[in-house]
Amino acid sequence: MDFSLTREQEILRDTVREFAQRELAPNALAWDEKGEFIRDIVKKTAELGLVGIITSKEYGGSGMGHLARMIMVEEFSKVYASLGFFFQTGQIGIYILENFGTEELKKKYLPSLCQADLITATALTESGGGSDPAAITTTAELVGEEYIINGRKVFISLAPVCDLAVIVARTGERFSTFLVERGTPGFDTPRRENYPGLRGIPVGELVFTNCRVPKSNLVGQEGKGIAVAISGIGAVGRTGVAGVGLGTAEGCYEVALKYAKERVLYGKPIAELQAVQHMLVEANLEIEAARWLCYYAAWLLDQGKSPRDAGNEIARSKLYACNIASQIALKAIQVMGGYGTIPEYQVVRRLNDAIELFTAAGTQEIMKNTIGRSIIS
Amino acid sequence: MPCDIVVCVKQVPHPDYLNKISIDPTGGTIEREGVPALINPGDRNALEEALGIRDRFSGRVIVLTMGPPQARKALEEALAMDADDAIHLCDRAFAGADTLATAQALAYGIRKLEHFDLILCGNTTIDSGTGQVAVQLAELLDLPSIIDAEELTFEDERSLLVKRIWERGYIKVRIKLPAVIAVTAKINQPRLPTVLGIMAATQKEIKNWTAADTGADTGRVGLDGSPTQFFEMSEFHAKRQGEILQGSPEEAVTLAIDKLVEREIL
Repeated sequence: MDFSLTREQEILRDTVREFAQRELAPNALAWDEKGEFIRDIVKKTAELGLVGIITSKEYGGSGMGHLARMIMVEEFSKVYASLGFFFQTGQIGIYILENFGTEELKKKYLPSLCQADLITATALTESGGGSDPAAITTTAELVGEEYIINGRKVFISLAPVCDLAVIVARTGERFSTFLVERGTPGFDTPRRENYPGLRGIPVGELVFTNCRVPKSNLVGQEGKGIAVAISGIGAVGRTGVAGVGLGTAEGCYEVALKYAKERVLYGKPIAELQAVQHMLVEANLEIEAARWLCYYAAWLLDQGKSPRDAGNEIARSKLYACNIASQIALKAIQVMGGYGTIPEYQVVRRLNDAIELFTAAGTQEIMKNTIGRSIIS
Repeated sequence: MPCDIVVCVKQVPHPDYLNKISIDPTGGTIEREGVPALINPGDRNALEEALGIRDRFSGRVIVLTMGPPQARKALEEALAMDADDAIHLCDRAFAGADTLATAQALAYGIRKLEHFDLILCGNTTIDSGTGQVAVQLAELLDLPSIIDAEELTFEDERSLLVKRIWERGYIKVRIKLPAVIAVTAKINQPRLPTVLGIMAATQKEIKNWTAADTGADTGRVGLDGSPTQFFEMSEFHAKRQGEILQGSPEEAVTLAIDKLVEREIL
């Protein structure tokens, strides 16, 4: 059993770490306050080949793999979780297009998506709920050579800024996945939510009113839309959120550890006080456990396991990493006392980010359902 | 105007982990177990400058290091940044070198190259910080050299205008090629490797040259070739001492001045 990273993965980790220190660390707090999508920073990551990290070279990606992507998301999220989260939500559509799209769609869109000249949003959730995809009411009716889409998607990450939407709509009794370009008549993104966390990722609605898309924009087979979407959400969405949780936890831990080593009380650094030290030890242990759950899930995908076959391991990593993210943020606040909630120490913004992770790409309860099914079957 | 550039790099301990390094006080050897390493930051500036020149004018960037087997990682990083060739001078005979013996080893390696137009180095390293190797290398190769370079401009194929810092400002120096130039951190911001660059780097060959491969006189490299050698070390322990001076601000200032005079600081 070899637990070591490849040399490629090590250099990638160091590269992303340096990028995060150069580009993210000096600005994270201000960006969080403004709550704007950092498109220019995403573009810079694309120029390094990071947006196409799991896309094959044939379509403009680098094909370095899922574990490499996990390491990247972890490193970005240590410093600014919104950028890590971009690689969660912004890569789902890319994955779906590459794995289920027609050759024509792949050639048309994937190179621009890997360069971040185009941004995708992926949409299942509606006001009736997100955990039960069968409750989707958005419809796509085939009329001649076009599908006519009607409906409304809510709580969609990147909706206000997306250039392309990958959506699931009802086609008769079953569901299908479609690609819709911004600018298509009848497609609008009118509303933006005001969430306290992950403020660099705008969230909003996608509204379709007699929106006509060519038949060729069907992604995957008609009637297989749920499977297509779940595949992307599993392989990219859940693993991505797991990585954001892991990185967020590490970011909080590093702030608290530094503080505890510098803050002197009773004549010695508080890190030497056992009550404080034990909190740091618990956080250290939880992060280590989460990292291996996350890396293992991503490694399975690199070994060729389908998102479905690796679903249990992916769910474990998402459930655990997202649980510890908020717990370690709270521990960091306890370690730091009154300083812990001062914005400049950047723990509270991370706590807000961590809270958003509970529901992203499937709730914690849905993760438990997935794991539960596998252990009792 | 192709320009073949040799960049000398050194692998150094990561600055964030310097407190994890211990030094054996008897032998002077550095214990780096578990301490991450990287390309010396100044050498990365030199590499970036070389890559920029190559990108503008064509040519090749050849990265050269002398060091133990793990120094290979520095070359892998340089290749990931898009260097063309990498040479690792790795031999027990090179171990224990002071700055002159290091420059000797690098000079032996460079003499073995078929062609080069320019040699770039970082001004200093973050671990030893002597700033000597570049000028020693130039002397050994009988080449002109400039240190503290902050801007390089080609006048023509064979001469460069080098802007360098000095005590009261800047000075521009014309230098004929081939030459050795040591650059400061202000000269550029090193690029980050791309994902494709990282993947391609691990497929590129790194040449391993022993002392015999370079034709080095083993009496001039490594410990045997070092005119300066470790003798003894002792650690400097700094301790802060705080004292609160009582009284009005005027009284406290007077007391503070008295104490500084007493300690012969004023």
